[in-house]
Amino acid sequence: MTMLLEVDDLRMYFHTRDGIVKAVDGVSFTLDRGQTLGVVGESGSGKSVTAMTIMQLIPMPPGKVESGRVLFKGADMLEMSEDQVRKLRGNRIAMIFQDPMTSLNPVYRIGQQIGESLRLHKGMDRKAAAARAVELLTLVGIPHSDERTKDYPHQFSGGMRQRAMIAMALACDPDILIADEPTTALDVTIQAQIIELMTELQKRTGSAIIMITHDLGVVADIADKVLVMYAGKPVEYGVKDDVYYRPLHPYTWGLLDSLPRHDVNEKTALCPIQGQPPSLINVPSGCAFHPRCPYATSKCRSEVPALRDIGGEHFAACHYAGDPGFERGVIECAGVGA
Amino acid sequence: MLKYIARRVLQVIPVFIGVTLVLFLLQAVIPGDPVKMITGERAMSPALRLQIMKANNLDKPIPVQYVIYVNKLLHGDLGTSYQRGRAVRDMLGEKYPYTVKLAFAAIIIEIIVGIAAGIISAVKRYSFLDVLVTLSTSVLVSVPVFWLGMLLQVFFGILLKQWSGGQIYMPISGAGGLSTDFPDWVYLVLPAITLASVSTAYAARIMRSQLLEIMGADYIRTARAKGLTSQAVIWRHALKNALIPVVTFIGLDLGAMLSGAILTETVYNYPGIGLEIYLAIGRRDWPVVMGGVVLVVVVVMVINLIVDVSYAFLDPRIRYGGAAE
Amino acid sequence: MSDHDHIPHEARDRQETLDAIRETGQPFPPSEEFELHAGDSRTLWGDALRRMLKNKLAVAAVVWLLLMVMLAVSADLWVPQTFGSPTKIDTTTIVKQRLIPPSMGHPFGTDDLGRDIFARVIYGARISLAVGILATAISIVIGLIMGALSGYYGGLIDAGIMRLADVFFAFPYILFVVALIAVLGKGFINVFIAIGILGWASIARVFRSSILSVKENDYVDAARALGASDLRIMARHIMPNAVAPIIVYSTMSIGGAILTEAALSFLGMGVQPPTPAWGLMLNDAQNFMETAPWMMIWPGLAILTTVLAFVLLGDGLRDALDVKMKD
Repeated sequence: MTMLLEVDDLRMYFHTRDGIVKAVDGVSFTLDRGQTLGVVGESGSGKSVTAMTIMQLIPMPPGKVESGRVLFKGADMLEMSEDQVRKLRGNRIAMIFQDPMTSLNPVYRIGQQIGESLRLHKGMDRKAAAARAVELLTLVGIPHSDERTKDYPHQFSGGMRQRAMIAMALACDPDILIADEPTTALDVTIQAQIIELMTELQKRTGSAIIMITHDLGVVADIADKVLVMYAGKPVEYGVKDDVYYRPLHPYTWGLLDSLPRHDVNEKTALCPIQGQPPSLINVPSGCAFHPRCPYATSKCRSEVPALRDIGGEHFAACHYAGDPGFERGVIECAGVGA
Repeated sequence: MLKYIARRVLQVIPVFIGVTLVLFLLQAVIPGDPVKMITGERAMSPALRLQIMKANNLDKPIPVQYVIYVNKLLHGDLGTSYQRGRAVRDMLGEKYPYTVKLAFAAIIIEIIVGIAAGIISAVKRYSFLDVLVTLSTSVLVSVPVFWLGMLLQVFFGILLKQWSGGQIYMPISGAGGLSTDFPDWVYLVLPAITLASVSTAYAARIMRSQLLEIMGADYIRTARAKGLTSQAVIWRHALKNALIPVVTFIGLDLGAMLSGAILTETVYNYPGIGLEIYLAIGRRDWPVVMGGVVLVVVVVMVINLIVDVSYAFLDPRIRYGGAAE
Repeated sequence: MSDHDHIPHEARDRQETLDAIRETGQPFPPSEEFELHAGDSRTLWGDALRRMLKNKLAVAAVVWLLLMVMLAVSADLWVPQTFGSPTKIDTTTIVKQRLIPPSMGHPFGTDDLGRDIFARVIYGARISLAVGILATAISIVIGLIMGALSGYYGGLIDAGIMRLADVFFAFPYILFVVALIAVLGKGFINVFIAIGILGWASIARVFRSSILSVKENDYVDAARALGASDLRIMARHIMPNAVAPIIVYSTMSIGGAILTEAALSFLGMGVQPPTPAWGLMLNDAQNFMETAPWMMIWPGLAILTTVLAFVLLGDGLRDALDVKMKD
């Protein structure tokens, strides 16, 4: 049986007057039915653009797919007509976005917005769609859902709106749910509820999830596989336990070190990576991470490391990954205030 | 919602008082003797003069005059023209229907042309049509209205007539009525186009910028992610949001047009209220000026009130009160 | 969401790209080290200038306005000598000289009183530009004071001033100007005073909202805590943030003032004959639309191009300075 989704060497470049922005530069991964893939990286690492490219929601121009394939159940979506892609969007592949406050249309009722995909993809009439919208709202845990479907988005709280977004995305029972930082804009307590809701619904519906986040902690609970991105490129990819417990790339080490942990005393608990992600117009030579990498050598400054299998489907893009002695050590947390 | 309307209505009161006060003060400081304006320049006895002043309340202190005036206003009495001796209310009542007709004709042009041009220009962004719309709106807002009127008169009234051997042309003056050359509505066409020009350009600009701004909104991305066609995204999701400010603008503009179009009415010698007030200013017929301006200001305020309330009605965020959090 | 429509093309492309590739969440603290990307060290004004220069329409507008100013200022040196006086009527030659169509000696033709229209258009620029600038200056002064009082002190003062602004907005504009002229009397000075007085309300609103948006910032509180006077806070902290919208607004309102002056002169309420003002020339031209259409073409074009130049310049400044305003 073919994979549910197979992304192969995907490259999405933006052609701007200031130069070419390689927002997604050679991303590959596979996703099986019911699996969850966590895509992790800082701002501008290309994780959202990857998702938007799969959905073909990037305006072209300025965007342009330079290479790659996006195989959904074996068929290349990049070769499909706009109409064919449209029939998958919101139907087989649904997406929820970061900011629930602005992602719902303020002038339509919640129920109408949920029902819209049902009418579009399932051919339901107004009444059936409205009834199903009530069920969906109940499913995502909104009380009095029969009344609340008649509300407008501004009458919902942030967490409720994200639940409504999830209901909207799940309306057509999609094979894949892409969640682009679904909890970033929410309160911490609500974040946990939303993640819990998503995992629970995944168990029930069996959809696969692509969870995009800058927070490895979110992924830790739910992902089967993890893809770490930096400056548009994949830097580490593997099953979750490998990436979490046997990380190979210094950037992943940094990400893990910046997680709040319970087992370490407070002084060393937070150890963020120094510096900022690079501008995608002026990507550093060689390994894009080298200016921030405490282990960087002259080779790192001149040669771009390839993503290679270090063993057991565990990939990393570092010249020294897997070398004996090149291990995650305690990096001095210089310059970080109390 | 009711509270909102009530508050909005209450806001009208100070503005109304302010407007009448400003007008009244203007009139009071105006150079010239009002009695002479009533009677002309002929000599008269002090007794007669006093009598005329008394009849017009001119002998009382200005604050008292103001209170008397406002009191009369509230009872629908706009006073009597100095020179014509007629009730201002009747004089204005004759002219106002013409202004109303002209305003609605212009608004129809503005709605159709302005909104359509704005949508086309936003949807076909960077295309030839977009450039054309953008440039022509810039030109239209810079054209003196009266000059545009003159150009239209020359083209449709003079050149067209010459080229067609006197067969085809448009009336360039008046409002029809007794004239049998054209049906009455034809007299509206050129003035309406002239009056609509600037506002149509603004309506198109607002429509365009609103639509473009909204096309970048997150909920438009959501709509596209649902698999809607780009037409459905534009017509169903973007337009409804983008129209709210445009409708507001057009509503306010209707108020402005109902307040008379001095320039358009002057160029076309169109017997509306703008021309009437303008002529009254020229002959210092203050009761007519005051009455006319008060009338149009009240109309503007009422229209603005209606626009505000319907804005609240169009936008559910206002209609259904504050957000849940 | 930024208002994309107001960003010029090249900046817009970049903005769109940045929007598209932007992802929130900043798990790492910023550091100075990697902030130096190509050319990012530009200042606001330098950046604005660069964007202005890329906007061809705005550059054309500036060139056109500079040309107008130069012609108008130097007029005394060459116009009367070459084309004759813009005002004097020569009764001995009037029959031969009147209503000549555009020709070598009179590039724009002559009017019904035998005066050269080119000369009158050039001298008319003096009136239009002067009224536009002086009226706007008056509006700015009144508007800034009112806006400052309103935004900075709030409360009753704010409510009072804003209601007064409402009163000014409630009047039909042209009617109000005409009425004011009727009180003040006709003539050049009263025209720009009347236009200036009526223009304050918009500028006051713009300035007030700038103040309100800055006032709540911590650094203003900090300055106040340090004992800075109101005037100092206004000059050091509020003005710099309010300058851009005021510049944009003023540029556009110069164009508006020129249009209003032309309308007043056209109605016979503005500058009085024989002074050459464009609106006045159009008024004269009304009686000769059929026989001497050149009389109406040139002054009309002069108004159109001048106002258009201010509008385009205003648009350009708005884009370059990234000022958001309602259309």
